[in-house]
Amino acid sequence: MQRLIPTGRKKKCFIKKTLRLTLKATAAILSRVSQSLLSVNPDLNTNSSKKPKFTKCRSPELETFSCHWTDAVHHGLKSPGPIQLFYTRRNPQEETQEWKECPDYVSAGENSCYFNSSFTSIWIPYCIKLTSNGGTVDEKCFSVNQIVQPDPPIALNWTLLNISLTGVHADIRVRWEAPLSADIQKGWMALEYELQYKEVNETQWKMMDPILSTSVPLYSLRVDKEYEVRVRSKQQKSENYGEFSEVLYVKLPQMNQFTCEEDFYFPWLLIIIFGISGLTVMLFVFLFSKQQRIKMLILPPVPVPKIKGIDPDLLKEGKLEEVNTILAIHDSYKPEFHSDDSWVEFIELDIEDPDEKTEGSDTDRLLSSDHEKSRSNLGVKDGDSGRTSCYEPDMLETDFNVNDIHDGTSEVVQPQRLKGEADLLCLDQKNQNNSPYHDACPAIHQPSVIQAEKNKLQPLLTDGAESTHQAAHIQLSNPSSLANIDFYAQVSDITPAGSVVLSPGQKNKAGMSQCDMHPEVVSLCQANFIMDNAYFCEADAKKCIPVTPHIKVESHTEPSFNQEDIYITTESLTTTAGRPGTAEHIPGSEMPVPDYTSIHIVQSPQGLILNATALPLPDKEFLSSCGYVSTDQLNKIMP
Amino acid sequence: MNIKRSPWKGSLLLLLVSNLLLCQSVTPLPICPGGAVRCQVTLRDLFDRAVVLSHYIHNLSSEMFSEFDKRYTQGRGFISKAINSCHTSSLATPEDKEQAQQISQKDFVSLIVSILRSWNEPLYHLVTEVRSMQEAPEAILSKAIEIEEQTKRLLEGMELILSQVHPETKENEIYSVWSGLPSLQMADEESRLFAYYNLLHCLRRDSHKIDNYLKLLKCRIIHDNNC
Repeated sequence: MQRLIPTGRKKKCFIKKTLRLTLKATAAILSRVSQSLLSVNPDLNTNSSKKPKFTKCRSPELETFSCHWTDAVHHGLKSPGPIQLFYTRRNPQEETQEWKECPDYVSAGENSCYFNSSFTSIWIPYCIKLTSNGGTVDEKCFSVNQIVQPDPPIALNWTLLNISLTGVHADIRVRWEAPLSADIQKGWMALEYELQYKEVNETQWKMMDPILSTSVPLYSLRVDKEYEVRVRSKQQKSENYGEFSEVLYVKLPQMNQFTCEEDFYFPWLLIIIFGISGLTVMLFVFLFSKQQRIKMLILPPVPVPKIKGIDPDLLKEGKLEEVNTILAIHDSYKPEFHSDDSWVEFIELDIEDPDEKTEGSDTDRLLSSDHEKSRSNLGVKDGDSGRTSCYEPDMLETDFNVNDIHDGTSEVVQPQRLKGEADLLCLDQKNQNNSPYHDACPAIHQPSVIQAEKNKLQPLLTDGAESTHQAAHIQLSNPSSLANIDFYAQVSDITPAGSVVLSPGQKNKAGMSQCDMHPEVVSLCQANFIMDNAYFCEADAKKCIPVTPHIKVESHTEPSFNQEDIYITTESLTTTAGRPGTAEHIPGSEMPVPDYTSIHIVQSPQGLILNATALPLPDKEFLSSCGYVSTDQLNKIMP
Repeated sequence: MNIKRSPWKGSLLLLLVSNLLLCQSVTPLPICPGGAVRCQVTLRDLFDRAVVLSHYIHNLSSEMFSEFDKRYTQGRGFISKAINSCHTSSLATPEDKEQAQQISQKDFVSLIVSILRSWNEPLYHLVTEVRSMQEAPEAILSKAIEIEEQTKRLLEGMELILSQVHPETKENEIYSVWSGLPSLQMADEESRLFAYYNLLHCLRRDSHKIDNYLKLLKCRIIHDNNC
């Protein structure tokens, strides 16, 4: 049992210790809480009561004054001490500035201090303070002349001045008297007044300017309405107005029973609406009228950006190459070529197939071997200019030159071309103009034109075929005939001279410009020009080949047999192969007649020999040969 | 004193307008043209003009004080420090209506004249000091200049009134001496500000006093206590 601790004693000690600890803790906690609470709300100092504060000090007549404060709110445990007001006057006569207590706590009401005239000095600063339980709660300093707020005016009344003729409006005069407290007669106070009035059922008071006199007229009041009037006063030099007087009710006598019910309100809204609608109608009339002048005045047309020779659609489509070519044409060559032909300004070309670009123009191939690029798409369209039957050789020439420029061989090729053409066509003899091309020029244009129209004119001629180029230029129909839609014509024969005879019925027109260089050949080969088929087999062509120089031509492209309307220029360019022997048709429509045939040999500068491929096997296509199958061949093929 | 340049246009405009308005009414009276001994200008006109002038001066000084207080000394509690230390306190001025009614007319007028005389020098120095500031506040300076000029005019008018009310008055130039110039020029900004504050506060108070006294006198002399 030694181990047994005397629990009683220990218990006591333990209990004491715990008690002490708890007391300390609670004290600490309480102090902390109270501190925090005090910091949060300092009002807690005064037993959770609101601090009294001065609300206002007022002197109604510059002879006495009173000060008011808020009542203290008592929530606390202790009963509040009395609130006291002390004041002091900073008077030089009174050297001691001791605080004196308020002389009158009653006269001005609760929580107020009233200073009568004996305690009031006007121009001497006062300081007052509120105390509660010995502690200063609030303090304020002022001079009495600064706290003047006069009493409200008294004895408001009104008199009728006059009524309007219509009996709708009336004028009245409102009179009042100065407050009794203010000593106006001795001049101690000078007041000014402010009047406010309104209709009975309105909420907003109308204010008038401050006035010094005690009466004021009110004009143009409506007879059928009741009005309320009130006045307040203030000392002339101070800022604070006194309280408002009692409200004066003004009820005007209704003399005339026939008063208008409503005022006439000028129908501004109607006028505005009608005015706007009228203006709108007029505007629309102008806009949609056919009178262009007025329309142009109001809506001047925006000039479409137009460069001669350039189709705006080109710009839209973004085909800069063509635009560039056209621009180059304009810039470089326009003055040179267009000066004479003022009636022709634009070429109308169709652009249909951008794929044609890659295939190049026939004339390109005819002219030089370098022209592989395609400048086929000349988007030259201008609705303003008339379509010219004779397409400007200049355009094409420049076009080609542009191509050449792009290729870099402009200067070189052109003279060649020109020379060759001149030689071939003997145009310099006959048709010497600014341009080497004359009425027979359409031929020149044809290839490019053909391309432009995307007739899928396959370039069958190589670039070297200048003569063929020439022939093509010449052969194709008259410009006049080309003025119509059909500026392609089937070439029926080629003269040895290099000119192309066109079918139907257009033969020999191109021959006008021909040079009769090889009349014998012409005669020889001009036997059967009247044929529809303008294709010549190589063999046949060879018959007619005179001593005319040959032109090396490389055959390039496949024949395209798509279009049947297109007449070959290339083939027809063969100068020699004019023999109609080749004009044998394929009988009937069993076999489509190809329009183009690849050029195999260019034996002369003036002619092209078409590729005469070997006849295929019977079951192969028949179209591989020169475009048609002779009867013998056909018999071979077909059983 | 670092008095910043303030937007003075509003107050200057007000000053101009009020000046114009006053100029309409305060036409320079032909003060005894030809040097006549007794002017034909009636007392009534003199008093009317004097009241207008005093009213105008009081307005100006109130504005000047409030501007100064708002800009420089707001919240510093100078009002409590403004112990009744105006230099004109030495003059026995009535402090309420009763006292004012007990004083005689001529004493009253003499008193007013003394007060006005006492302010000649302080106003002159006020203008000089404000003008010589580096960044002189235009509003305060213009008002001070105007107050100085109008006070001179009022003094002339009051002296005329005095000569009419009390012709036998000897020219005793009783006035309070102002010695506040050194305090206006103190280096310490706080003390300097307080000196200006005090001066302007006293000016406002004295202009109010003069205005009140003149209205009292006018009603008493002209209207026989029945304004």
